[in-house]
Amino acid sequence: MSKGARNRTTKTGDGGSAKTAKSGKSAKSGTAAKSTAGKSALGGGGGKGRGRASRGVGLPQERNWGSYIFYGVISLIAVAAIAFAAIQANKPPIDGLEEFGDLKQGHTTSPVKYAQTPPVGGDHDPTWQNCGVYDKQLRNENAVHSLEHGAVWITYRPGLPAAQLNKLKQIVQSNDYTLLSPYPGLDSPIVLSAWGSQLKLDDASDPRVNEFLKMFVQGKQTPEPGALCSEGKATP
Amino acid sequence: MTSRRTFTAAGILVLAAAVAFVVYTVFGGKVSDSSVEAGFARDMSSHHRQAVEMSFIIRDRTDDEDVRRLAYDIATSQSAQIGMMTAWLDAWGLPHVDPAGRMRWMSGHPGHTTVAPGAPMPGMATDAQLKELRAAHGRAAEILFLKLMIAHHQGGVDMARAAVDRAKEPEVQRLARTMVNGQRSEIELMNGMLAEREKQQG
Repeated sequence: MSKGARNRTTKTGDGGSAKTAKSGKSAKSGTAAKSTAGKSALGGGGGKGRGRASRGVGLPQERNWGSYIFYGVISLIAVAAIAFAAIQANKPPIDGLEEFGDLKQGHTTSPVKYAQTPPVGGDHDPTWQNCGVYDKQLRNENAVHSLEHGAVWITYRPGLPAAQLNKLKQIVQSNDYTLLSPYPGLDSPIVLSAWGSQLKLDDASDPRVNEFLKMFVQGKQTPEPGALCSEGKATP
Repeated sequence: MTSRRTFTAAGILVLAAAVAFVVYTVFGGKVSDSSVEAGFARDMSSHHRQAVEMSFIIRDRTDDEDVRRLAYDIATSQSAQIGMMTAWLDAWGLPHVDPAGRMRWMSGHPGHTTVAPGAPMPGMATDAQLKELRAAHGRAAEILFLKLMIAHHQGGVDMARAAVDRAKEPEVQRLARTMVNGQRSEIELMNGMLAEREKQQG
């Protein structure tokens, strides 16, 4: 129940400062754990106290073992349950996920220098890129605007095997709020990006593709919920 | 002895609370990811988004007041309904997409099967049809819009009927029922408008 276990420190974004993810739920369970620990310590102390007192009135000492065991078991179960809940609430959402904070949301028609490749947020073009399949590289500044609308941008290194590329195309055709485009110079064959989050993959059939889509398509990170992914820029 | 009983009661309470907490963490949330309600909210939102898009296109392609008013009605009401369905998914804590496939919740509904991956849902216009609509203007654009929107509404009514038949959540039932009734009457209206315009064109 240490601070390290509760908090997920995230990587530095283009703004420079690291963000710490700490949900209300986890903070609550932390407090609960502390108060339980306090309670069980009190319970133990009370037991001892009674133990001494009972010797005074001549009660058989063995009787206290039952209460020690009773409170011990209850404390153990309670601590285990709270630890389980805390782990459930804090387990890393997706293995290998990188998160970035302090992303600007300004509009500009000038080129923007992004800290991540591909970018996961920051200032962007006033026109968003329409969702869908593209076979040419997109302008970062337009695609970042789509991320702001809750889209997931799937990028691949040119030369991805045809079977994998077809799988990615099918995913984008079957799911709203997704874009697909080649991106030369990626440091892994496939990179999935959402506003503030990124996942690097080697294979299109990695089950984390679906996990990423479920978490981030119009997900909680979306800076402009409800904004559309159509009627923007239709060409690369 | 009283304090001993108090401790015992407190212990049982802590135990019960812990068990309840774990049960809630694991099984909490009443609408499941694979439910009719969740599937309907996702797929109907997607279906509606295209109707909104087509309505905005036609408003730029014709000056005809009746068609522009109809398009305004569809765009605003369906956008608001998308917002309602989006809010349900958020309240249920469920994803906004189902990468395992669209329309799975409708399997077994008379006349419907799961849509193949990448294939459009019933009534949806193709990219080529949308391109054609963007390029047309005046009467030709109106006629194309009405034909596409009639087909779109027919697909929408079928999907909404499946939700009326199967959804358990009352708010989902109610919205789906209003879609069936509203879109049915709009189909009648559009059929009349289409016949009028086709007659004029000869």
